[in-house]
Amino acid sequence: MDASMATSEKQVRTVCHSACGMVCGLRAHVKDGILTKVEPADFPEQKYRHICARGLSTIRMVYHPDRLKYPMKRVGERGQGKWARISWDEALDTIAHKIREISERYGPRSLLWCVAPLGGLDLTYASLAGSLGGSFVSIIGDGDSAGPCGDMASFGVVWGDIYMTGFENPGLCVLWGTNPAETNPFMMRTIRDFRERGTSVIVIDPRFTPTASKADQYIRIRPGTDAALAMALINVVIKEGLYDSGFIISNTVGPFLVKRATGLFLREKEVIPGGSEQRYMVWDTATNSARPADESGVAPAIIGDYKVNGNDCQPSFQALIDVASGYDLKRVSEITEIPADIIRQLGIKYGRKKPVASFRGMGMQRTFHGDLAYRAIATLGAVTGNIHLEAPQLPVYELYMYLHGITTCNFMPILKAYDAIEKGDPYPIKFLWIAKQNWVNQLPDVNRVTGKIFPNLDFIVVADIFMSASARYADIVLPACTFYEQTDLIPPINVTPSAPDYFQLQERAIEPLHESKPDAQMVKELACRLNLGEYFKKTDEELIQSLLSVGYPAEMGITMEKLKKGPVKAIKRPNYPVFLTQSGKMEFYCERLVNLGQALPCYMEPLESARKPLGKKYPLVFMSTHTRYRTHSTLANVDWLRQLEPEPVLEISTPDAQARSIRDGDMVQVFNDRGRVTLKAKVHSGIKPGTVNVNQGWWPEHFVDGHHQELTHSVVNEAQSIIYEPNSALYDVLAEVEVVKEV
Amino acid sequence: MVTQYGLVIDLDRCTGCQTCTIACKMEHGLTGVSGIRVETVGGSHRDTPDGEYPTLSMSYLPVPCMHCGEPPCAASCPTDAIYKRDDGIVLIDEEKCNQCQACIKACPYDALAFDSPNSRVWKCNLCAHRVDQGLAPFCVSCCEMEAMLFGDIADPSAIALQWASQRNSYTLKPELGTQPSVRYCPPRLARGDEG
Repeated sequence: MDASMATSEKQVRTVCHSACGMVCGLRAHVKDGILTKVEPADFPEQKYRHICARGLSTIRMVYHPDRLKYPMKRVGERGQGKWARISWDEALDTIAHKIREISERYGPRSLLWCVAPLGGLDLTYASLAGSLGGSFVSIIGDGDSAGPCGDMASFGVVWGDIYMTGFENPGLCVLWGTNPAETNPFMMRTIRDFRERGTSVIVIDPRFTPTASKADQYIRIRPGTDAALAMALINVVIKEGLYDSGFIISNTVGPFLVKRATGLFLREKEVIPGGSEQRYMVWDTATNSARPADESGVAPAIIGDYKVNGNDCQPSFQALIDVASGYDLKRVSEITEIPADIIRQLGIKYGRKKPVASFRGMGMQRTFHGDLAYRAIATLGAVTGNIHLEAPQLPVYELYMYLHGITTCNFMPILKAYDAIEKGDPYPIKFLWIAKQNWVNQLPDVNRVTGKIFPNLDFIVVADIFMSASARYADIVLPACTFYEQTDLIPPINVTPSAPDYFQLQERAIEPLHESKPDAQMVKELACRLNLGEYFKKTDEELIQSLLSVGYPAEMGITMEKLKKGPVKAIKRPNYPVFLTQSGKMEFYCERLVNLGQALPCYMEPLESARKPLGKKYPLVFMSTHTRYRTHSTLANVDWLRQLEPEPVLEISTPDAQARSIRDGDMVQVFNDRGRVTLKAKVHSGIKPGTVNVNQGWWPEHFVDGHHQELTHSVVNEAQSIIYEPNSALYDVLAEVEVVKEV
Repeated sequence: MVTQYGLVIDLDRCTGCQTCTIACKMEHGLTGVSGIRVETVGGSHRDTPDGEYPTLSMSYLPVPCMHCGEPPCAASCPTDAIYKRDDGIVLIDEEKCNQCQACIKACPYDALAFDSPNSRVWKCNLCAHRVDQGLAPFCVSCCEMEAMLFGDIADPSAIALQWASQRNSYTLKPELGTQPSVRYCPPRLARGDEG
C-alpha cells in the first residue's frame, strides 16, 4: 500500500466548552486530522455521561465556511465591515504598539480585557492584564450576578444552590423561574429522578416551558414578582405556626438581637464592658437577659421585643415576622397575579413537605431586584428548615486565585465598565480586547454600547471564531480556535450540585484551522513583544501544571498525569464551614443593606413595571429567555440547530396579539425608547398575557431589523453593587409591539 | 424465537431536547433530514402547549422508523429495495432503490424522507452498523434524559420490554396492522394536590 494512503484514526477526550454552565465530557473521533464525530465521553460516574443537541452541534462550527481565517484590520469606519487581511506579525506588532502608547498616555488601568473564561488557559488573558497593571472585566454581571448577590448576602457564597436543592429525598420540588429541561439538563436529570421516586414538582414561571410540562402543578406568575410570592409564603408559614424554631435558632441569625434605632445587630461590647466587638447578642429566656449568642446554655428567644441597656431590640426573626406580615394573601395575589388559595397552599406545603427543594433559576433573577428574590426564597427555606446544611465548595474560583498576575489585575464589573468607558468613571478605559464573549450581541443597551461607549475607545481588538456582532466593531480582528483546536484545564463548574464535580482535561483534538490560534497562544506571542517575562514562555501543559501546583489541586493531588487518564473528582474538603457569612449563620438579615432599607428581603416593583407610568406607553414586559437551540450567541449560525429553530420569533399571548390585530406569523416590531427589533410573531397560549419573549442569542443579521439588545437597559442596582456585583436586568424591560405594515 | 429489535421510548422522561435528531445527523452524515423527529404534542408550534391557562398541556413524541413487523414501505416498493433483516431491522438497499419515493407516501408514520444533498431516500436504520457491533443506536446512546431503550421487543425477558410493560406502553396506529417495533410509555398524570 502506498504510504500516503495510510489513514490515522484516533479518539480524544475533550470537554464541551460552551459556557452553558455545564462541562460535558466529549469523545472526539479524528481521522487523518479531521474531526469526524463527537459523542458523550465516559465518566467514572456514568450519571455524568451526557451531551445535548448543542454539544453535538459544536462540530458544525469547526468546518463552518464563515470562520474567521486570518487576522484583519479595519479599513473603513468601525462597524462598516471593510477589512484588509494582515499577517499575525503585523496584527500583534500593532496591538503591542497600541498597548504601550495607550498605557503611557492614560495609565495601564485604561487597558481592559472583556473575556468570559471557562478554562484555566482562557485566563491567560487575566495574567496578561495583571502583568501590565491593566483591567479585567468580571462578566457575571451579564445577566447572572443578581442571584449570586442574593446568595452572597444569605450564605456568603456566590452559588448557593446546594443549600436549597442538595437534599437526597425531597418531599417537594419547587422550581422558581427556571427551565432546566432546556438550559440545565443535569439539573433536569436530578428532577427526573425525584419525580420517579414520587416527589411532586411545582413550576413557577410566566411561561409554560418544557420544564413546566413535566410539573404536577404549574403556577403562572407575573414576571419580576417572585420576591413578593416568597415573602407571602413566609407570612403563611408564620401565621400557620409552621416555622422551624430549632433550625432558626441553630443555623440562622434569627435569634440575634437587632437594635431598632439603627437596624444593626447588638454586639457584646455594647452590653458588657470589655466585651467583643464581633460577638452577637441574643435574649436568653432562661435568665431574661441579653447574653452572647455563642455562650453555652443560652435559650435564645426568636420572637418578642426587648430592652437592653436602653436600646429597643428584637430578634431578627421577629423583625422578619413584622415585615412578612405586610405580605398578606390579598396584597400578594394582586402583585403576583396568582390566586390567594394557591399561594396559601404552597406556603403550607413548604412547612409540611420537608425537605422542600427550591430550584432558583437564572431567568427569575434577571429582573432589577433579582437579588431580593433569591434572598426571599433562601429566607423561606431558612424559616421552614428547608436548607441543606452543606456549603458549596468551589475549587473553580480558588484555582484562578493563584493565577499569575491575578493580584495586580483591576477587576471591573461589566456594568461599571459601561460608565468607565463612556464617562471615565472611576477611571478612563481606552483599549478594549474582547475574547470568548460577544458584548455587542449579549450585553444590554446595544445602542448605548455602539453609539456612546465604543466611540470613546482608542483601540478595540476582538478575537473570535466568526465575524460576530462584536468583531464588526474591532480595529483588529483575530481568528480564534474552537475548543477542539486547543488544550485547556476545565475545572468543575458547581453552579448546580447536579453538574459533574470533576476536573477534566480538554485535550486538543485537531490542529488549529486556517491561520487561527488558541487564545492562550495569542497572549503568549503578544507578551513576548511586551517583554513580559518567563511565565508567558511556558507551554500549555506547563501553564496547566502551574495552575495545579497551588491551592486546592495541589492539596487534593490533582496532577496532569491523572488528568491525562480521565476526569479527576473534586473531593470535598473535610471540616469545611457550613455558611461562609460573617456570622457563620444563614443571614436572612443583612446589616450591610440597612441604609437601603433592604436588611430583610422584601419585594420591590420591577424597575420597568407596567404598573408604573412608563407602562402606559409600553405595557408589555419584554423578556429574552434562553433556549435549547443556542448557547448565548454561540451556535446561532449552525445548520443543524437552525433547521430546528430557523429564525427568531416573538412569543406573544393570544389576547395581547388580538388587542394589536397581530396574527400568528405576522411581522411585528417590538420597541421602546431605547430601540427596536423586527421579527415574526408566534402567538400561543403558553405565555402570560402582558409578557412577550424572544429566545435570545440571535445575531443582528438574523432579525429583519434591529436586535433584542436594543431594548434592554444597563441601569446599575445599588444593593447589588454593595454586596457583590450589579446585574444586567435583561428581563426587566417594557416594550410595545405593533404589526409591521407591508411596504 | 424470532428477534425483533426496536425501541422503548419513555415520554415521561422525554423533554423534547432534540438530541436524538442531531445525533442521527451526526452518525449518518446527514445535513438536512434526520432519521428521527421530535413532535410537540400540544400547540400548533414546536414547544408550545395546548389549552388555555390553567389547563395547559404539552408533551413530546420522538418518531423514528417503527421497524414494523409488516412494513407498508416495503410492500409499496416496486423494486423490492426495502427489506427486513433477520433481527427485524427494516433497511433500504440503495443499490436497488430507484428513488420513486412510493415508500415515503406509504409510511403512515412519515418516517421516510428524501435526503436531497445525498440524493437518496433516507430513514432510520436503527444504526444497524452499531447494532452489529453490540452497540445501541446512536440516538439512544446520546439521549439526554435516558428516555430511550434499545432491545429485542419480541423477548419478554428483555429489559426494554419489561420497562414498557410496567408503564401501559403503546404503539402508534396499531389499527393499521403494521406491528410497530417502537413502544411508547405515556407521560405520567400530574400528581394531585396531596401528591
